[in-house]
Amino acid sequence: MRLTVNGTEHEVEVEPEMPLLWVLRDELNITGPKYGCGIAQCGACTVHVDGVAVRSCQLAIGDLAGGEVTTIEGLGQPESLHAVQQAWVEHQVAQCGYCQSGQIMQAASLLDFNPAPTDADIDAAMSGNLCRCGTYPRIRAAVKAAAQKLQGA
Amino acid sequence: MMKRTLWAPLALLAATGVWAAGETIEINPPAEGSVSTEEGLAAWGRIYEVASHPRCANCHTGESDRPMWSGPSYGKARPHGMNIRAGESRIGAEHILCSTCHTTKDEDWSNANAVPHAAPRVAAEWQLAPVEADWFGRSSVEICRQLRDPERNGDRDMLELAAHLDHDLILHWAWAPGGGREPAPYSLQEHVNDILTWGVAGMPCPEN
Repeated sequence: MRLTVNGTEHEVEVEPEMPLLWVLRDELNITGPKYGCGIAQCGACTVHVDGVAVRSCQLAIGDLAGGEVTTIEGLGQPESLHAVQQAWVEHQVAQCGYCQSGQIMQAASLLDFNPAPTDADIDAAMSGNLCRCGTYPRIRAAVKAAAQKLQGA
Repeated sequence: MMKRTLWAPLALLAATGVWAAGETIEINPPAEGSVSTEEGLAAWGRIYEVASHPRCANCHTGESDRPMWSGPSYGKARPHGMNIRAGESRIGAEHILCSTCHTTKDEDWSNANAVPHAAPRVAAEWQLAPVEADWFGRSSVEICRQLRDPERNGDRDMLELAAHLDHDLILHWAWAPGGGREPAPYSLQEHVNDILTWGVAGMPCPEN
């Protein structure tokens, strides 16, 4: 089975029912997307498929249908961070950091749909991404800062 | 922003759905004039049991764009967790897409919804039913009048209602929800038969 992740094509021999998250982490050793709950309740595994946020624990590899996958590893690079990653650093959002890969991917997807989100827009889009450290106020601030960066770019 | 036709795949019955692999429906209406009003009302009573069942009504929330969590496996009825709103698009485009978690099946694998509490998925785009198809908490009379009103049922006659149940795969999930969820009553075929029986009887509705 073929799939493209962060611009690189891969061939994996797995059952079509295997969740994309398992393929990424166990078959391709792409470990940015995290396993949290396995049932779309926490958002830690969020990646993009064709640019749109998806819970990779809920997407069977056989259902990918040629969609191109982007993980946190492909969103930006150390020398050229995505605006959301940059805002994350500037606002020191992460505490334990376990959820931040999913948070950042969800936030980047939100800003693609809605370049100038209100606090309510951010809360509506980000409520499916849980943070056990409770960094929600900093997440919201970072998303707003990223939106301003992207609009000024 | 994405715009979708409100009466696209979901519309009538249930709001969420996978279909059972290989399930086929026969659409054989009774002969014209062969069904009494009494029999039509009895068929309607069964249709209402389906329409008002949580598997269907939870995503038929009318003006509200918040799907509901209710039914035997949910305890007290409450809006879908995670602050979910389907928006005017009814697919969540204004907030977070339903398909973020309710991913769309490409391969028709039968155990896709075996895991309790996971987001159900079907071979169609997950979405809330149109505003006009307002069923959650509504009475038998209210739902009956909506379903027979072409202005509010997607301009469908009896056969088109039945065909809608046959074609729109998201509706099939209500009878095979998996994950320990209670399915809608009767079977999809029995429900289609009841729609046809009710239709041939002239779509009678209870008085009150």
